[in-house]
Amino acid sequence: MGANQLTVSRGTKRSIVKALLSVALTLAVTSVVFLINNVNPVIAFIYLFQGAFGDINLLSETLIRMTPILIVSLGLAVSFKCKIWNIGAEGQLYIGAMLGTIVAIGIGGGFLSLVAALVIGAIGGLLWAAGPALMKVKLGINEVITTFLMNFVGIYLVQWMISYPFRSPDTYFPESAAIPSSSALAVILPGTRLHMGVALALALVPVVYFLLERTTFGFKVKVVGENPEAARYGGMAIGKTIFVSLIFSGLLAGLAGITEVMGIQFRVRGSLSPGYGFTGIVVALLGNNNPLGVALASLFLAAIMNGSSTLAWTMNIPMGIVDLMQGLLFIFVLASEPLVRLLERRGVLKL
Amino acid sequence: MIEWIVIAGLAAATLRVAAPLLLASLGETIAERGGMLNLGVQGAMLVGAFSGFMGAYFAGSLWLGLASAVIGGVLTTLLFGVLVINLDLDQVVSGLAINLLASGLTLYFTRVLFTGGVSPYLGDLFGPMPIPILSGIPFLGEVLFSQTGFVYLGLLSVPLIYVLLTKTTFGLRLRSIGEDPVIASYLGINVLKMRYAALLAEGVLAGLAGGMLTISMFNTFDPRIVAARGFVAVSIVILGRWNPWGALAGSLLFGFTEALSLRIGVIFPELSGASINQLFALLPYLVALIALVVGGRGVRGPASLGKRIGRER
Repeated sequence: MGANQLTVSRGTKRSIVKALLSVALTLAVTSVVFLINNVNPVIAFIYLFQGAFGDINLLSETLIRMTPILIVSLGLAVSFKCKIWNIGAEGQLYIGAMLGTIVAIGIGGGFLSLVAALVIGAIGGLLWAAGPALMKVKLGINEVITTFLMNFVGIYLVQWMISYPFRSPDTYFPESAAIPSSSALAVILPGTRLHMGVALALALVPVVYFLLERTTFGFKVKVVGENPEAARYGGMAIGKTIFVSLIFSGLLAGLAGITEVMGIQFRVRGSLSPGYGFTGIVVALLGNNNPLGVALASLFLAAIMNGSSTLAWTMNIPMGIVDLMQGLLFIFVLASEPLVRLLERRGVLKL
Repeated sequence: MIEWIVIAGLAAATLRVAAPLLLASLGETIAERGGMLNLGVQGAMLVGAFSGFMGAYFAGSLWLGLASAVIGGVLTTLLFGVLVINLDLDQVVSGLAINLLASGLTLYFTRVLFTGGVSPYLGDLFGPMPIPILSGIPFLGEVLFSQTGFVYLGLLSVPLIYVLLTKTTFGLRLRSIGEDPVIASYLGINVLKMRYAALLAEGVLAGLAGGMLTISMFNTFDPRIVAARGFVAVSIVILGRWNPWGALAGSLLFGFTEALSLRIGVIFPELSGASINQLFALLPYLVALIALVVGGRGVRGPASLGKRIGRER
C-alpha cells in the first residue's frame, strides 16, 4: 500500500486509523488482563507472535486458519455493506460443509468430486441464507433474528446427521465418513498442511473487490446500504439487492465450510468451526467491509487464534483469551468512529 | 391415551422453561417501547447467568448470587446504553458487540477460575416454592402453584409492566420517546434519562432471566447455557406486539415447544430411543421462525425502534 499513498482517499485513511486504533485499544485492555493474571504482557505478545509466525509450519497453520475466516468475512462484508446483518454464517457454514461432504463421498473421489463438493457446499450455504432473505424482503422480518435462529436449526440438524444417517461406521465419536483422499484440496507447500484453499480464499479478495467496486450490483449494494431513500428515488430494486447480498454472504459461508472439510478436516465433526461465522462479523467490520482490509483483518484474527494456543501452554493463559479479544475488538471498532471524531475536533488528529 | 399426570407435568414444565423467556422479553419490551432494539439482551442474560453463578458459588449464598445476577444484567444493558444513547451508535451492531463481548468475558473467566474450564456444581438451588393451600388444588396446584420464585415473579411482572407502560406518566413518556425521540425532547422529556431508566429495568429482568438458569434451573454454568434464549425473547417481543400480555403468550408458546421437545419420548413412548428423538432439539428454533413468518408479517413496532437519533449529523 506504500506505493500509492498519494491516491489514498481521506475516507480510506480514516478507516485505517480507526482499525489501528481499535487494535491498539484491544491490545491495551488485553495487556491489563495479562497483568491481572500475573503475566508480563510484552512477553505474552512476543509468544503470541511467535506462535503465529515463528516458523514456516506455524505460518502455514496461521494461513490455514485464515482461510475459512477470510472466505466467510468477504461474504459478510458484502451483506454488511448493504446494511444487512447476516449473523447466521455459522449455520450456513455447517450446512455447506455437510452437503458438500455428502456429495464428495457420493461421487467417490477425483477432481469432479472436489469441484462438485465445493459448488454444492456453497449452494448449501446460499440456500440456508435464502429463508431469512425471503423473510426479510417479502415479510419485512428483521434478518438479525432469523439468521441467528437458523444457526441453531442448522447446527442441530448437522449434529443429528453426523450422529445418525451420515455417521461414519468406523469411529466412536459422532462424525461423518471421510471424503475420498483423491478429492481433497492439494497441499501447496510440501511438508506443511497448507492447502489450495488459501489460494482460493486469496483469489476471492480481488473478485469481491471487483464485485463491489466495478459492477452495478456493487453500486446498488452501496446505495441501498448508505442511502435507501436515494435508492428508492433512483428506482432501484431494493428488495432484490438485499436478497442477493444476503444469499451471497450465505454462498461464501457455505464455501468456507466445505473448503475447511476438503482442505484440512476431511470430514464433518461437531467441532468443524470454532465460531468462524461469528469471527467473520468482527473481521468484516474491522476491515471496514473492504476486501483488502478484510484480508488483513482475517490474518490478524487467525494469528491471535493460533498464537493463543502457544500462550496457553507457555504462560498458562486460557484459550478463551481469543474470544475475549474478539469481543473487545468488536466494541472498539464501533467506538472508534466517535473517538476519531472527538480526536479530530480536539485537533489531535488531522485527516 | 395420554395420562393427566403427563399433561400436568408438561404444563408445569412449560411454565418453568417459559419463565426466563418471559422475564427477558418483558425487559426487551420496555427497552423497545423506548425505541431501543437491544439484541444485547442475549449478552445481558449470559452475564446474568455467569455472575449469578459466581456470586452463589464464591459467596456461598444463593441470595448474593441473585443480587450479582441482577448487577451483571444491569451493567451489560448500561454498557449498551453508553453505546447507543451517549455515542449514538447503530443499535443492531452495538447489541451484537455486547453479545460477543459477553461470551468472550464469560468464557475466558470460566477458564481462568476453574481448571479445565468446567464449572463445578452448586450445592443448593432456588427450588420450587409451593404456595400453601393453592398448591393442593388438583392439576392447577401442580402447574401454577408449585413453581420457583422466578416463575411467580415473571407472571406477576406481566400486569405490573402492562400498567407501567400504559397507565403511568413514565410509560406514556417512554412510549412517546419510542415513537419520536426528537419531538419527545422538544416536549421537555429527558430522553437520556428515560432511556437509561428503561435499560435499567431491562437489565434487572434480563439478569434475573439469566440468573435463574444457573441458580434455579441448572446448578452449574456453561458458556453456552443461554443458547439462543435472548434472540428468542426478541422474537417474542415482535410476536407479542410490544405488549406484556403478548410477551406472556409468546413465552408460553416457546416454553411449550421446548418442554415438548425435552419430553417427546415420555409423551410418545414409541419414539423414545429412536434416532429422530435427537432432532427435536432444533424444534424450538424452528417454531420461533415459523411463528415469525405467521405472526410477524407487516408488524409495526415503535416508530423510532432501531434508529439512531443522529444529533451529530
